[in-house]
Amino acid sequence: MFEVPEDRKYLESHEYATTGGDTATIGITDFAQDELGDVVFVELPGEGEELTKGEEFGVVESIKAVSDLYAPVSGTVVAVNEDLFDAPELVNEDPYGDGWMLEVEVADEGAFDELLSAEEYRDQTE
Amino acid sequence: MTRGSPYAPHTEAETAAMLDAVGAADEESLFDIPEDVRFDGEFGLEERSERDATTLLSSTLAKNKKLTEFLGRGHHSHYVPSLVNDLSRRSEFLTSYTQYQPEITQGFLQVLFEYQSMLVELTGLPVANCSMYDAATALAEAARLSNRVRQASGHRILVPEILHDGKRSVLDNYVAGTDLTVETYPMDDGNVDVDALSDLADDEVSMVYAENPTVRGTIEERLTEIGELADEVDALFCLGTDIVALGLLQEPASVGADVVVGEAGALGMPNAYGMGLGLFATREEFLRQVPGRLVGASEDAGGKRAYTLTLQTREQHIRKERATSNICTNQAWVALRTAMHVAYLGPDGLVDLAKQCVTDAESLAAELSELRGVRAPVHDRHHFREFVVHTDQPAKAIASDLESEGFAVHVVSEHKLQVCVSDLNAPKVDQLVAAFEEVL
Amino acid sequence: MDFDQARYARDDRYEPLLSEKNAAREEIDDSPLPDELTRDAVELPGLSEPELARHYTRLSQMNWSVESGPYPLGSCTMKYNPSFTEDVAADPNAAIHPDRSPRTSQGTLELLYELQDYLARIGGMDAVTLQPPAGAAGEFTGILVAKAYHESNGDDRSEVVIPASAHGTNFASAAMAGYDVVELPSGDDGRVDMEALDAALSEDTAALMLTNPNTVGLFERDIVEIAEMVHDVGGLLYYDGANLNALLGRGRPGDMGFDIMHYNVHKTFATPHGGGGPGAGPVGVVSELEPFLPNPRVREKGGNYRLEDAEDSIGKVHGYTGNWFVLVKAYAYIARLGDAGLSDASAKAVLNANYLAEQLDYEVPYEPFHHEFAATAGDRDAADVAKRMLDYGVHPPTTKWPEFVPEAMLTEPTEIENRDSLDDLAHAFNAAMADSDEELENAPSRTTARRIDQVGAARDPQLSWQALDDE
Repeated sequence: MFEVPEDRKYLESHEYATTGGDTATIGITDFAQDELGDVVFVELPGEGEELTKGEEFGVVESIKAVSDLYAPVSGTVVAVNEDLFDAPELVNEDPYGDGWMLEVEVADEGAFDELLSAEEYRDQTE
Repeated sequence: MTRGSPYAPHTEAETAAMLDAVGAADEESLFDIPEDVRFDGEFGLEERSERDATTLLSSTLAKNKKLTEFLGRGHHSHYVPSLVNDLSRRSEFLTSYTQYQPEITQGFLQVLFEYQSMLVELTGLPVANCSMYDAATALAEAARLSNRVRQASGHRILVPEILHDGKRSVLDNYVAGTDLTVETYPMDDGNVDVDALSDLADDEVSMVYAENPTVRGTIEERLTEIGELADEVDALFCLGTDIVALGLLQEPASVGADVVVGEAGALGMPNAYGMGLGLFATREEFLRQVPGRLVGASEDAGGKRAYTLTLQTREQHIRKERATSNICTNQAWVALRTAMHVAYLGPDGLVDLAKQCVTDAESLAAELSELRGVRAPVHDRHHFREFVVHTDQPAKAIASDLESEGFAVHVVSEHKLQVCVSDLNAPKVDQLVAAFEEVL
Repeated sequence: MDFDQARYARDDRYEPLLSEKNAAREEIDDSPLPDELTRDAVELPGLSEPELARHYTRLSQMNWSVESGPYPLGSCTMKYNPSFTEDVAADPNAAIHPDRSPRTSQGTLELLYELQDYLARIGGMDAVTLQPPAGAAGEFTGILVAKAYHESNGDDRSEVVIPASAHGTNFASAAMAGYDVVELPSGDDGRVDMEALDAALSEDTAALMLTNPNTVGLFERDIVEIAEMVHDVGGLLYYDGANLNALLGRGRPGDMGFDIMHYNVHKTFATPHGGGGPGAGPVGVVSELEPFLPNPRVREKGGNYRLEDAEDSIGKVHGYTGNWFVLVKAYAYIARLGDAGLSDASAKAVLNANYLAEQLDYEVPYEPFHHEFAATAGDRDAADVAKRMLDYGVHPPTTKWPEFVPEAMLTEPTEIENRDSLDDLAHAFNAAMADSDEELENAPSRTTARRIDQVGAARDPQLSWQALDDE
């Protein structure tokens, strides 16, 4: 069973965004990191860049696969997890914690409504 | 005699038993090809014994005239030691595939790792791939790399007006699917006209390409300025060179080169009718944008250092239409030969060979200049291996007459020849001068 | 078979690097050039000839090859590379400069001309260029030719259609030429899904790229209809020659309606793979497309050969004429085999694939295959099974590709294996499959190196001996 925390919402393409604050933390799910296998490289936008919901914002690579990352919400990047550049394995070890990717100032609070709940996402991956 | 392929070992009894095992009446029934597109097998091609096939080829090739070639302009060769011919032909190297199972192909991987390391030393840049097809495609790949890493600005690629036709045409084709455009900048007495280049350079430039030595054999004197100029407009500085020149001329990294391309097959290969080995080296920050294969060091389960192809997600078999290049099969075996040749020379041998490329060209130019109606070198520059010669008489006629005397030189224009000297033809320099005298 | 690969090991490494044996430094203090145009020093290995001979011999012993044993990589066609072709290519008369006049290079030009003719006959094409230096370069050339053809008709097309199961190079080559790629899903029977094809084709279609037999060895039985559909929308049909070894003498792409094809001479015509290259990827076309082939073309008149540039040509895809020595070897192979040998090669290649599959305790979901088949490792990890096969003294097949076959093991024994060696290969397949998970995960143990850490290599790239020194 993969971990799917209740305090965030999900995209079908396996990204999450935390809810409940002015900013949202974005990353990929436990299920996604397991599918990818050992993550060897993460490419992320810089601080100040704008994300548009549903559009690509970066890339995560394992040995044999490359996956685009899609933005679960629109907003401005206020923090980037630079630890991932030297230690991409954090995405595997702790996808919801130390393996976070971006912190984004959410442009539109209502944007979360269209995302999957934990339960809906769990159903999708089972 | 229609025995079939000499390289299919099946006896008739074996074939029959195997057909029986798969439940097929005959070989034909194994082919699921509709009748309307079946072919009867008659290409009209004769089969031959090994001896007859060898004779056919050697008699055909013997129709190439025996000439002493004083030819260069991007395709060069030097004496290849027997060690290279002998060991590179070991079937374990020659008949192996790309190292997709690294545990059983450590030998070739180490050779390629050593080749990459040699290029890192010679270019001063930390990342070298394990080959492109040739200098032309390496240059073209560099232009495409500049497009990926300089996406924010710039679509202009600036190249010298004397760029070799083959390189220019390949470059045009490789950028045809992008928004890049190729423009030329003028030369000044054989070298880059830095002031003119400066006028052309603006924020729209993605890459500036220069060569050292140039296609005319001149050695650039203001590379650092060219590097700075490219840097100022946030363009890549791509430097074209060859593996022997790298042994003596300014280290590319020291003049600000971001990418080094060129011909590495000048060592390890005889004259090969243009077959080459594209060298490609670049800075660390472009690592994930490098085209072609890379060999890296890692560890095996026993804790020993071992080698493997790495960062393969850049490549076509994983990233498909978003790969850094479509290249798959490369020039690995040529890289093996080149690495062997470099190792054979060692640093002193490589430096000596490169020095000889300067001094031999200088002395031959001086000798030719002694002749009436001949002036060499045309450009008042230092030269590497080759130089342009002015002739009062039509150059084409002279080249044709020299050919009848057994020597080949380039015709550059109506009154200009180009002559290239290396350790291979250097012993015949006196005869070349005599032949010049004869035909003038 | 009891197998152990050569292994020269000491402490934490195998054969030391050249730089570890002796790194020498040459200061350049007496340059014939001004100091400011001269580098300071060169640091490279400085070893004697006997030391180098031993180094490279040991490295060769730590390398698998066709002459070592079975090398059944699917889609790679690892044939035996006849020795005599090496001797022929080493002929001093072949070692000429490309800028010689045609008058003094008649032998080379004749050979190229003849090879163009051989390949045209074998593919059922009207004209051939030998310039592309590899299969992918051939694809790129072919797509550029298609583009030039459409443009000459004032026809602006933006898409190339490619089956999802195609070689990765197809997608990359089409994209390099500036086309959008339309991916075609595989049909349930492993072949082109005709409905999906119909939906994908349009007036934007520049070309459909197809391998036939396809990447699981199946012949596209609807090929004539497919060609009609592509031609009906004004598109061109491109043949990826990677699998031509299955068709030699029994079917020609030109007869099936293909307009453009490339040949992988390092597969079909037995030139050595050389550890990754060089190959050659000549391109054949129908007569309508001939004017667009790369310059220069070799022409013949009255027994005299010359190089000719055509005005509508796409130009060049290689600085000169491609991988000349490879072309010499391909010519030699075809001249040796002739009609009977070529047809027999495909017959035995297909027989061998069928016989081998019959001996395996694996499911092969798609039939009837030809020169290669995709077995599935089922609930085992195909990559692990492959690593274990190494311990049985064979090279494993291509794994996990094509992706629509779960845990695929794409196997192509080629015509060169006899029944005994196929039985050995089958034993390796079956024994590995019967081994425990632990045995698979710990494999290989009998190759030079044990399982190599790919993740570490990618996370912390060390691409030169200088990078190792910096650690």
